[in-house]
Amino acid sequence: MEALLFNVSGGFLEGIVRGYKAGLLTQNQYNNLTQCETIEDFRTQLSATDYGNFLANEPLPISTSTISDKATQLLVDQFNYLRSNAVEPLSKFLEYMTYAYMIDNVILIITGTLHGRNTSELLQRCHPLGIFDTMPALCVATNVEELYHTVLVETPLAPYFRDAVSAADLDDLNIEIIRNTLYKAYLEDFDAFCQSLGGPTADVMHRILAFEADRRAINITINSFGTQLSKEQRAKLFPTIGRLFPEGNNTLARADEIDQVRQACEAVSEYRAFFDSGGRSHANGNGGANGNSESTANLLGDLDSELGAAADLEDRFFVHEVHLNKLAFLQQFQHAVFYSYIKLKEQEIRSVTWIAECIAQNARDRIHDFIPTF
Amino acid sequence: MSGTGPRESVFPTRMALTNTKLRLKGAQTGHSLLAKKRDALTTRFRAILRRVDEAKRKMGRVMQLASFSLAEVTYATGDISYLVQEQAKSASFKVKARQDNVSGVILPAFEVDRVPGSDFNLTGLGRGGQQVLRAKEVYAKAVETLVDLASLQTAFMILDEVIRATNRRVNAIEHVIIPRLENTIKYISSELDEMDREEFFRLKKVQGKKKRDAEAAEVIRKAKDAEEVPDVAPDHAGGGGDLLGSKDEDVIF
Repeated sequence: MEALLFNVSGGFLEGIVRGYKAGLLTQNQYNNLTQCETIEDFRTQLSATDYGNFLANEPLPISTSTISDKATQLLVDQFNYLRSNAVEPLSKFLEYMTYAYMIDNVILIITGTLHGRNTSELLQRCHPLGIFDTMPALCVATNVEELYHTVLVETPLAPYFRDAVSAADLDDLNIEIIRNTLYKAYLEDFDAFCQSLGGPTADVMHRILAFEADRRAINITINSFGTQLSKEQRAKLFPTIGRLFPEGNNTLARADEIDQVRQACEAVSEYRAFFDSGGRSHANGNGGANGNSESTANLLGDLDSELGAAADLEDRFFVHEVHLNKLAFLQQFQHAVFYSYIKLKEQEIRSVTWIAECIAQNARDRIHDFIPTF
Repeated sequence: MSGTGPRESVFPTRMALTNTKLRLKGAQTGHSLLAKKRDALTTRFRAILRRVDEAKRKMGRVMQLASFSLAEVTYATGDISYLVQEQAKSASFKVKARQDNVSGVILPAFEVDRVPGSDFNLTGLGRGGQQVLRAKEVYAKAVETLVDLASLQTAFMILDEVIRATNRRVNAIEHVIIPRLENTIKYISSELDEMDREEFFRLKKVQGKKKRDAEAAEVIRKAKDAEEVPDVAPDHAGGGGDLLGSKDEDVIF
């Protein structure tokens, strides 16, 4: 059924997005980028790709943050083009995608307001994808109470806020908890919306969102070791749509150390691999270290070994996310490609920034640690 | 000659000579002490120089590592700088100053005082918390290196100044004060010698004159004796004659 009627409303945009996808950097282009000696070379290499001369007008010492900003701007332009041409239900789908960024922006504004900052300067720091029409209205609020009501009235995030937090909760310690509570509500809501669309969209999106949910659960667990976050609070932050739900989530909620996290993930074969190879590749990395990173290990003592494994896990999550997003392109007549494209593009921007950073900081041994998309 | 070279304006007396000799001795003791101090400081200075060099190299590496770990954070979570800025309430990394004494020179030494716990340990809870933690640790290490370097560098500057002052003093004592005192001593002793010689000569002169006078007096006396001796003996009234030699009428036995 979707296959029959999808092209009526979504065919054009799907074509566009698949065209955009063809413009993602290839392995070959990444190889060329990693060969660059200076940021100058880097810019020349990038101008041969779909990025074109997006850095042409920048004054010469180009900082990596400029590269990242400009590339994000390109992505935002593409997204806005898609969005302005979309009709229901795709427009709703795209709107849902912006909610994630909105959560970050609203949290940012709340943090700023709590500390009495000039909120209009906060607007410049907001992620451009998460900007909504009524966002400047948030800047009118001068205290937290007022802000809370403004958020409830003015933003699309109102339902998440209403369920998750009360005005009294809006203080410093809670800000990260609020963010994660909101994100959990968002993920569950997004998943429910995708299920209501049905068909391949629901299939593909559920896979991606379930992974996102599990990733958050695992990350929250690992990152909350040794903090004031209690286990009950932690358990409340776990999204309930992941593949680990419910028994994995329960194990995670009780976990005290990384081994217990590993046990919680045993049930899912893909996740098991993260932990298995995670330790090994880290050991390999240390074994084959050159002089520079040896001195690094000396300087940092055993800091590396503790945090290295967890940091490595994060990389594996990224790889798996990219893998899932790539799979989304194998199905036609569905909305997940839009989501996947944005995610892949974001990953690409991260990779490009990483390479630029490595070039700028002359850390060539780490330059291959990015995650290629296609 | 005693007149060459600068000298102090003192009266060439014995007392001044004693004083000056004492001062010369003091100056020599001071010179050797200061020279010892200078050597001690220079040894310390060299050691510090070496450590400054090491610390600077280390700082270069650590700072590179630190900014790279920040890049990792940006890679994993995006820009967190604003959140971290806003959530930091109390300093978790403090520097304390303490004093060190190196051969009488007070050197400030800085010490790191880390307060455990942090204000933003929930940052990156959903994503990249490990990288944030790592970046925090690495930067703490970097700041530690900076603090080390700061105390070394301060010690370096202060020692440099002190060594220069000491050097100036040593050289001043060696090349100005001691020669001047020596000159003064030479001057005084030569003056004293001179005075001695003058005195000697004067005494001789006086003696010569006295001798001459005495001789002249002798001649006159002899001449007088020749005339007057016979008259003198029978002079009873003069008293003091030889009681045994003369007969007294009043003595009956």
